[in-house]
Amino acid sequence: MTTPLLACADLTCRFGGVVALDRVDFTVGDGEIVGLIGPNGSGKTTLFNVVTGIYRADAGAITFAGMDLSRASPQAIYRAGIARTFQRSRMCLPLSVFDNIMVGNHKRLNHGLVFNLLRREAFAQEFRRNFDEARELVEIFSPPLAARIEEPAAGLPMIDRRRIEICRALVSRPRLLLLDEPSAGMTHEETRELMDDILIVRARMAGLTIVIIEHEMGVIERITSRCAVLNYGRKISEGTFGEVARDPQVQEAYLGAAAPDVLTVGAPSPEATSPEAT
Amino acid sequence: MDITLFGQYLINGLMLGVMYGLVAVGFTLFFGVLDVIKFSHGDVLTVGAFTAFATFLALKAMQVASPWLQLVIISFVAMMAMALLGALIAKYLVLPLRTAPALNTLLITLMLGTVLREGVRLIFPDGSNPKPFPRLLPSDAYTFGAFTLRVDSMILLLSGLAMIVAVHLIINRTKLGLAIRAVAQDGETAMTMGVNFTAVVLITFAIGSAVAAFAGVMNGLYYNEINFGMGLLLGVFGFSAAVVGGLGNIYGAILGGFLFAGLQTIGAVALPFASAYKDVFALAVLIAIMAWRPTGLIAEKTSERV
Amino acid sequence: MTVALKSQSSLPALIFAALATLYGIVFLTAERERALGALLIGAAVAVVLAARFGVAERVRQSIGANERTFDIAVIVGVLVTALWFHHEHFILLMMATSLLLMVAALGLTVQFGYAGVLNFAGAAFLGIGCYTAAVLTNFTSVPPLLILPLGGLIAAAIGSILILPVLRTRGHYAAVVTIAFGILFKTFIEVNDAVGGPQGMRVGSFTLFGWTFNDPIRIGTFEASFYLVYAVAALVLLVFAFALVRRLERSWIGLSLDAIRLDEIASACYGLDIARWKIFAFTLGNFLIGMAGALYGHVLGFIAPNNFTFGDSLIIVSIILLGGIGNPWGVAVAAAFVVMLPEKFQIIQEYRFALYAVLVILVLLFRPEGLLPRSLRAYVPGWGARESSPEGTR
Repeated sequence: MTTPLLACADLTCRFGGVVALDRVDFTVGDGEIVGLIGPNGSGKTTLFNVVTGIYRADAGAITFAGMDLSRASPQAIYRAGIARTFQRSRMCLPLSVFDNIMVGNHKRLNHGLVFNLLRREAFAQEFRRNFDEARELVEIFSPPLAARIEEPAAGLPMIDRRRIEICRALVSRPRLLLLDEPSAGMTHEETRELMDDILIVRARMAGLTIVIIEHEMGVIERITSRCAVLNYGRKISEGTFGEVARDPQVQEAYLGAAAPDVLTVGAPSPEATSPEAT
Repeated sequence: MDITLFGQYLINGLMLGVMYGLVAVGFTLFFGVLDVIKFSHGDVLTVGAFTAFATFLALKAMQVASPWLQLVIISFVAMMAMALLGALIAKYLVLPLRTAPALNTLLITLMLGTVLREGVRLIFPDGSNPKPFPRLLPSDAYTFGAFTLRVDSMILLLSGLAMIVAVHLIINRTKLGLAIRAVAQDGETAMTMGVNFTAVVLITFAIGSAVAAFAGVMNGLYYNEINFGMGLLLGVFGFSAAVVGGLGNIYGAILGGFLFAGLQTIGAVALPFASAYKDVFALAVLIAIMAWRPTGLIAEKTSERV
Repeated sequence: MTVALKSQSSLPALIFAALATLYGIVFLTAERERALGALLIGAAVAVVLAARFGVAERVRQSIGANERTFDIAVIVGVLVTALWFHHEHFILLMMATSLLLMVAALGLTVQFGYAGVLNFAGAAFLGIGCYTAAVLTNFTSVPPLLILPLGGLIAAAIGSILILPVLRTRGHYAAVVTIAFGILFKTFIEVNDAVGGPQGMRVGSFTLFGWTFNDPIRIGTFEASFYLVYAVAALVLLVFAFALVRRLERSWIGLSLDAIRLDEIASACYGLDIARWKIFAFTLGNFLIGMAGALYGHVLGFIAPNNFTFGDSLIIVSIILLGGIGNPWGVAVAAAFVVMLPEKFQIIQEYRFALYAVLVILVLLFRPEGLLPRSLRAYVPGWGARESSPEGTR
């Protein structure tokens, strides 16, 4: 791999006595789709939170596109080109779908006082341009949802909310997209569709790099080229999904004991198909 | 400054600290168990003081003469009445709003405080003006050289401290206190462990409100006067004391109370020419502290999960 | 590809404006309480029936599609009302007061309704505007046109000392700090004899280009109470504030304010500078309130600390909670009622603090979005005229 897009070196994060991240090394190459898996509480979302500046790491460094983001604010990290979704749906429910998506577009919108209050013609133009863009983006995921783009987000089902959150993350054309359990609360069919749509968008946005936290292994196997496994804050394995699934350490982390075939998708065992509690 | 003045300031400061502390304890308890700021707490203190006053008038009409008896009865009635009021507020206003945004509870209790305050003003004849509170404590004073010690101040101070100790004991040495602490730490888990969540909440509000009533009676006895707005300022300082001490932490609340009282006393000492400004000074200090270190000496418990 | 609202006739909107003006005139003329009571009940019944038979919806869409027309109609309506009562000191005074309180409530709307910043010192900032105007008019020769913006600037400047605690995430910091500041202001004014102490101080007349506002009006055969000028001036200020606040909401700035109110963490992750927007909202809000205060001081002619108590701040908060958080029209209607009701029903005067508090409690419990719920953001005129979902106050 040439210079990685994102390089986390030796990241450590402690909350009181709990070590949420323990000297984690994690790199992502430009254009890759990398999976981040591990049992509940293993530190995956914490890693995202540290990378996006919500938590500050106690030790270690984060480099992104050559910039040192170890001490950066969430705002600076967003401006650098990293966008994320949240495990727990975080939306502004009283606002319209369009408003929610525009929240993610902050860096491409003109927030000047004079522009917004006085130059209304120019503002109207910028609005229409962004409206059309947002609509096109939502259409990729769901034409019916695109038709409802002016409606409040509150009345919509969970899958549409997830789509909106992903559109919100994509609208600013980030270089790195962090997806935190996008399939939570959805059926296999919906998840498959969602992932396909994300790949379509990725194809249109040359070079979109994705890191995805998932519990549904089918997704990981299908779309990632490589994944890393965390357990108790430490990275215990890395490689393609197949390699990682066969790793006895990984199996032990998930099940307490090594057992082949359990992480294989499609195997008729109850553990593989039961939804993981979040 | 001479020793008499110093002594006077000291006693004033301590009294103030005790009163703020008592009010702050209520705020901190309510926040602890329900994550709620009950802004009407200061006005509950006012209602308590006026209830005591009304009881006193009733006792006089019934020709109960002994001041000690009067004192005990009015305190008891005020505290019991406010305990009931606190529990009712919890049951009908605060608990039902647990799931609503926290802002709603803040606003509703703020408005409730207004209703209580205005209620007192409207119900009592000539309510807008201060009312003289009966002198039920012995008015003796002992002189040690240049230093005068008033018995009533001592009694008030000691009983205030005793009340603080009593609350501490209840919270830390009784099963009820254990239940309260459990609910404060994690309500849901406490429920699964068999703690009656609703009962604990109601009792906590009752205790906090009774303590406020006690502080109201103390206030009346110390200044020999009560007025319908007395709870507002005490509530503001009590709440700030609780915040500075770390909401949810009882010792912090008491510490905060004495901190604010101490600063106010220092201000009164440092600006003797401008005694009219002492409230202004006190409030300015409050704002400064909240600006500089709003989470105070001890951190507030937070619960946001990202 | 953009979807615009199909063009709607402006007739329902205009008829509504005319009817509202007529109602206002009748209401203000009525003296006996039974008549007033009947009017209120009649209005309530009319509103309920209108909603039931879809008339309210048609009116709303008509207004949404013909905003400029409706705005002008309302302004004309207010002017007509003011002229109708050109001899009535008291009614014009009430109108001026309502209009200025609307401006103050709009300031609070920006702070609380949009940015989610609590401010329980609204009356104090109003008072800062009043006293600034009083001092400037009485003791200096600052040009009168500057007095209003100066009142606003000084209110905003003084408000900035509260910024740090106000920026804290938990609402109760801003709450207690602003309550403390409100009390501090009132107490400070009370002990300061330089500004009149507890008795208060007189405010000289507002003068504009040689015209002394406090002189009765005589133009040819037209005579009017001097309050007419103040009412019109208040209307001008309200139009300015209303347009400003509405445009602000319908912009990327309005979106940013809503976003930080609703979810700070997500907003931060999408680049919004929380502190910057909160400071902006708080300062702008105080500026508007201060400006309203500067004119209000002249309208009252005599100001005293007792006009600016904590209870008064709560009344301004009640206005936005009752009227509909974030909806400028709702706020306007609520302000008018809050000012006029106690004046028309004298019995309420004594009970108004308690009454409004009870009303707010009921609204928060049963209809948290207020009288006129806020609609979805309409970035360009005639866009969405739909109601947003009930969100409570948050």
